[in-house]
Amino acid sequence: MASTESTSAPPPSRPLSPHLGIYRLTLTMIMSGTHRITGMGLCVGVLLLAWFLISASMDASAFAIFSAFIQSIIGRLVLFGFTWALLHHMLGGVRHFIWDSGRGLDDPEREQLAQATLIGGLALTLIVWAIGYAVR
Amino acid sequence: MANVGKTMRTPLRRVRYLGSARQGTGESWLVHLTATALVPLTIAFVWLVLTLLPKDYNGVRAELGHPLPALVLLLFVLVGLYHMQFGVRAIILDYVHGHAREWALIVNAFFAVAVGAACVYAVLRIGFV
Repeated sequence: MASTESTSAPPPSRPLSPHLGIYRLTLTMIMSGTHRITGMGLCVGVLLLAWFLISASMDASAFAIFSAFIQSIIGRLVLFGFTWALLHHMLGGVRHFIWDSGRGLDDPEREQLAQATLIGGLALTLIVWAIGYAVR
Repeated sequence: MANVGKTMRTPLRRVRYLGSARQGTGESWLVHLTATALVPLTIAFVWLVLTLLPKDYNGVRAELGHPLPALVLLLFVLVGLYHMQFGVRAIILDYVHGHAREWALIVNAFFAVAVGAACVYAVLRIGFV
């Protein structure tokens, strides 16, 4: 939809807003980054889920290959990462819902929410894995 | 803005049709709608995986053959991939430029549809074959 004159316009020499590189790194900035990184990580996680479902839909030998992988050290590490990314991203989403309601945006609350997401994600992951080892 | 003054065109003419006027909230709404659905779906999915852990091949197939676990999986995968594709799209639009951006957007869309189709096919095959 862009008109041709917009591409042929000379580069503007107006001042740019400060880039995020000049700011002191804060926890809320790190949490914004981890929300994106865990989101990208879930792209890998969904491949693991797809492999599990496809192998279960095939014969027992196909499922055995998936089983062997997921029980290996690497498989467990990937699954642990998937669990954490999923739960961390979910809590990050809940944090965004709280912000959308207009709450938790001020100084002490937004820091506490960031800490709650970080600690909550790790705690939920450890709880899920504790249950997992108990029931398996 | 160099030709402002030489022509009758106003700055508004230059920016018109370059923004997301009136439609900008549509994508945001869908991201939030899918996110809302994904909170209970994620909890149900984690619960389902925990119940599948002690089961072998036949046990997993028997469990996934039931309607409720199959529906949880189908909804989690489909709503999750729809939500995921919006998120990856936003990241691509932030960091990928030029022709690589178009390729990245194509790969993103194809990935979501292909993984979704594979998962749906697998769940239906477990349930009906």
